[in-house]
Amino acid sequence: MFLVDNVSLELGDFRIKSLSLHIERPEYWVIIGPSGAGKTILLEMITGIHRPGKGRILFEGKDITLDQPKDRHIAMMYQDLMLFPHMTVKDNILFSFKIRKNKGEDIDKKVSELVDILGISHLMSRNPATLSGGEAQRVALARALIQKPRLLLLDEPLSALDSMTRERLRQEIRKIQRHLNIPIIHITHHFEDVYALAEKVAIMQDGMIVQTGKPEDVFAHPCTPYVAEICGTENIFRGEAFTEGTGSVLKLGDLCIRVAGCFTGPVVAVLRSEDIIISIEPFRSSARHTLPAKVVDLIPAGPFIRVVLDTGIPMIAMVTRTSSEELSLEPGCSVYATFKESAVHIIPTIHTGDNYEFNT
Amino acid sequence: MAEKNRSGKLFYPITIILAFFSGGITLLVLGGLFTFISPESILQTLSSPEIRYAIQLSLITSVISTVLCAVVAIPTGYILSRGELPGQRPLVMLLMLPLSLPPLVAGVALLLFFAKTPIGTGLEDIGITVVYTHLGIIIAQWFVNLPYLIRVMRSSFAMISPRYEHIARTLGCTDFQAFRYIALPMARAGLISGLVITWSKVMGEFGAVLMLAGATRMHTETLPIALYLNMSTGDLDIAITTACILLGIAAVTMFFFEHLSEGSDRI
Repeated sequence: MFLVDNVSLELGDFRIKSLSLHIERPEYWVIIGPSGAGKTILLEMITGIHRPGKGRILFEGKDITLDQPKDRHIAMMYQDLMLFPHMTVKDNILFSFKIRKNKGEDIDKKVSELVDILGISHLMSRNPATLSGGEAQRVALARALIQKPRLLLLDEPLSALDSMTRERLRQEIRKIQRHLNIPIIHITHHFEDVYALAEKVAIMQDGMIVQTGKPEDVFAHPCTPYVAEICGTENIFRGEAFTEGTGSVLKLGDLCIRVAGCFTGPVVAVLRSEDIIISIEPFRSSARHTLPAKVVDLIPAGPFIRVVLDTGIPMIAMVTRTSSEELSLEPGCSVYATFKESAVHIIPTIHTGDNYEFNT
Repeated sequence: MAEKNRSGKLFYPITIILAFFSGGITLLVLGGLFTFISPESILQTLSSPEIRYAIQLSLITSVISTVLCAVVAIPTGYILSRGELPGQRPLVMLLMLPLSLPPLVAGVALLLFFAKTPIGTGLEDIGITVVYTHLGIIIAQWFVNLPYLIRVMRSSFAMISPRYEHIARTLGCTDFQAFRYIALPMARAGLISGLVITWSKVMGEFGAVLMLAGATRMHTETLPIALYLNMSTGDLDIAITTACILLGIAAVTMFFFEHLSEGSDRI
């Protein structure tokens, strides 16, 4: 339905080189890449602020490469939101109606429906400068969505928020996407956004999209060192969490482990491979998990060795060559894998955990 | 060591004394203007046909030339603030040149342009006479003060992130509407203070007006020209009254400017 076809653009220090992106359904795309990769420029090009030097942009088969931004019906939200400071919240939200002079539509009903979903109806007469981060975010979202865009572009929408607000907004953005049934392109440099939101992920580097696909496919088969780096050092598991006592219990397949914090429902758990200690004898301590494991494989990685373990679920640990020799690790031997409760990083997600496995 | 200490201790007192000294001098010199003339004679002079003519002419020409400055400076300042024009740097230098040029030089150049070049004589042929006319006053005031307003508008627009307009364009604005409904209202404070100062500078414009429009009593006699003419003929009452009016305008302008630019670019 939406196709960026082999576009190139040079703008100051940024450049986009023969970039293509094909969105077939109303799905949630997360584009991740380091800063300076040209992510914002890409979104601005999709909205029509910048014209590509080469290539085409198509929407439902129609070439929109040269269309004005106003004719594209593509909404965008910047990280710093850009709420118009000289207008009230209400005037901000109604701005596109005022400009497009949409008459005959039941504007009031549309607006009140949307602001109710976003929970901002009490803010309508406020000045944008007086809003909290999360409130401003919702207002910007309402302003973008009120015109029923065909595509929503989000430029690091969650980076400036505290983690609680970020979590709530993630859920809301997803809910809204289902409600509107439009594709979303969300750019970020936070890996958490990929776990929590993405149906499809695209990796962007130096003005190019180097890999696209379902998150689990991309992470399982990273095609560049950057992709490998951002996912290779981590164990990523999908599972169910439920609260128990002061903490939570995480169920990963047959394995149950205790984690800090209160979580319920589908989650992604991330455990850095450096945080796993391997020993021959069990390593006992209250705040630690010690799991019996089998060494499946040893993969040299510079001064380190990646140890592929089977603890009921696959895990990767990182040890130095020296400790590998001291422990005389080899495929098939039995060891204990130990890690702190606090080393397990939990990210609530919307997807359920059915046959979802990153490490293969 | 003791020597060093003493100079260290004296630094702040000296700067403070100098600051108040400059203020005192300014007050003494400008305030002194009012001691040379009685309120009665000011009122009397104000009713003279000559001074009334000068006030009227100055007000009309200054408002027209300030509006003309705005008409050119707002779009020019805007496009320069967005910084994507080819040859922008030389263009900006050229536009800003009159700022450091004596107005007298600008006046001579304008005079020769309208009197001696094909463009000037061509305008003359179709009935547009600039030299020694009211139109000449407006053109001289406009030409000399335009760069200042362009600079003010350029920096006002430069403080507004272009992303506001990007968003406005995705919400249905044409380029012009994004400028009209977003950039321009957001630059409002800069625009108003720029207009007030431009108007006050235009009111006091002398050198360029003298060259292009001449100093003809009761014809091209703006307030500064009236001051000059009456000073040279020894009519001190009219000269001093005119000076007091111009001083009053400057004071009001300064008050407005202070009031408008609260916080941000306070003097």
